[in-house]
Amino acid sequence: MAYEWLLTWVYPIVSKNPAVTEIAESIPSAVKTVFGVSDQAPVDTFEAFISAQFFARIWTLLLALYGVNTATSLLAGSIEDGTLAIPLATPISRSALLATQAGVLTSANGVLMGATLLGLFSGTARFKIKIEHWRYCRMSLLGFAFFSVISMYSFLFSAWFPEKERALAYAAGLTLAFYGLDIIGGLSEKLSWVRKLSLFQCFQPQEVLEDRIDPGRQILGLTGGAIILWLLAQRILEEKDLVL
Amino acid sequence: MIEVQQLTKVYPKGRGIHGLSFQVEAGTAFGFLGPNGAGKTTTIRLLMGFMKPDQGSALIHGQDCWRDRESVKRRVGYLPGELHFMENLTGLEFLELIAGMHGERWGIKQKRKRLIQVLDLECRKTIRKMSKGMKQKLGLISALMLDAEVLIMDEPTSGLDPLMQKVFMELILEEKKKGTTIFMSSHQFQEIERTCERVGIIREGQLLSIQSIHELQQMEYRTFEIEVKSTEDAETIEESELEWTKVDVGFYRIRVAKDMGQLFQVLAKVQVKRFAQCSLELEDAFMQYYR
Repeated sequence: MAYEWLLTWVYPIVSKNPAVTEIAESIPSAVKTVFGVSDQAPVDTFEAFISAQFFARIWTLLLALYGVNTATSLLAGSIEDGTLAIPLATPISRSALLATQAGVLTSANGVLMGATLLGLFSGTARFKIKIEHWRYCRMSLLGFAFFSVISMYSFLFSAWFPEKERALAYAAGLTLAFYGLDIIGGLSEKLSWVRKLSLFQCFQPQEVLEDRIDPGRQILGLTGGAIILWLLAQRILEEKDLVL
Repeated sequence: MIEVQQLTKVYPKGRGIHGLSFQVEAGTAFGFLGPNGAGKTTTIRLLMGFMKPDQGSALIHGQDCWRDRESVKRRVGYLPGELHFMENLTGLEFLELIAGMHGERWGIKQKRKRLIQVLDLECRKTIRKMSKGMKQKLGLISALMLDAEVLIMDEPTSGLDPLMQKVFMELILEEKKKGTTIFMSSHQFQEIERTCERVGIIREGQLLSIQSIHELQQMEYRTFEIEVKSTEDAETIEESELEWTKVDVGFYRIRVAKDMGQLFQVLAKVQVKRFAQCSLELEDAFMQYYR
């Protein structure tokens, strides 16, 4: 939230300086891609600014890694260190326990989305920057669905390999691979097909904020994916030997 | 009642348990003894439905411990060998959580209150700040407060001081009076001796013996301490087929199985300075299986 306030405070100063726009326009498209800025989009809007500085890379990566780390700690970590031995000795099923852990992380994701919106809305109100609030809400919904998928495949790896280090290595490895593919795919036209292999392709904050795409389908697709991953994780966990 | 038939579980590195079979009758206590890595905890994990057996079955009150594990666990109070809790909870919060997961059955609250008093636990303390002994008490309360039909405990007195070990034994005897079936692994011979009717001895994943405590105590092994007068006498002892251990010059500890005749034949040839029979303890009988 503090970082969002800092950015909204800086934006009016930056946007009034024509040199900044010139510099931004002169940046090669490959470099823009690395920072998550759309090549076709205008560079002087608040949406482009906040996407490049925050949503497209820092925020996405931080929340993705938060999801990976928390999910693997809640499941693989708790199995490995024995914290789940007594809870799993109660009549509660493993699936119910996984649902609780997934509920904890999903609620945390929801709180983080809410806090992001709160920081942004209060910052823009304070520094009198006009924004379309509903577009940010839509982006948060997309973000929530996107991070839910990452959390659920992290749970799946934790159920499959109930050792913290191993589950974390697979889940973080896959996330960083997706992230890498997204960057590589944006570097040249020839490699653009690589982007389609990346989960990050489903989360384009700038396009949503500028209302150039309707994220409805992505939200539904990602939510469906998260549910399938969760069901798979449940199935694997039910059959797994737990060294508790 | 606990019924284990040809239970086998082998880990990828080859350790595990092989074809274990035993029964624990309802309302009795069964002690499970064995060195570290013998397979005690693996057996308990299979009884708790944490792992699927490779072969064989484990049943509690006729229900399969793997397939019907949720239903089995309604009847079971469990204490793991290594205790790890959600450290940011207080002891009381943790006990309330576990009671809730068992559906807050009638009587849990009263029993919990009594156990907290008897075991003298500061339950409002955060678990992170608790000592190993306090955590062990907390684990014991979480298992005993449920008034379960079956109690499964992995080294229940580890970390408890002698006074609390005594309190624990009294609590177990109380449970037995109520008809609770008890299965516990232990290294504490005294607690097994005082609380269990039968004992199973496991080594390298194989069940070596199942005997009643009485039988084990009465196994015809005797240990004698014998001091002889001369070097010739000492040589006679050493050349004999007796199972001897030299304690000092001319001073031996001799173990005799069943037939005492051989001992007296050898003793008839020497001049004995001192002769004493060591008391036979369960530990002595138990140690036979470790040699």
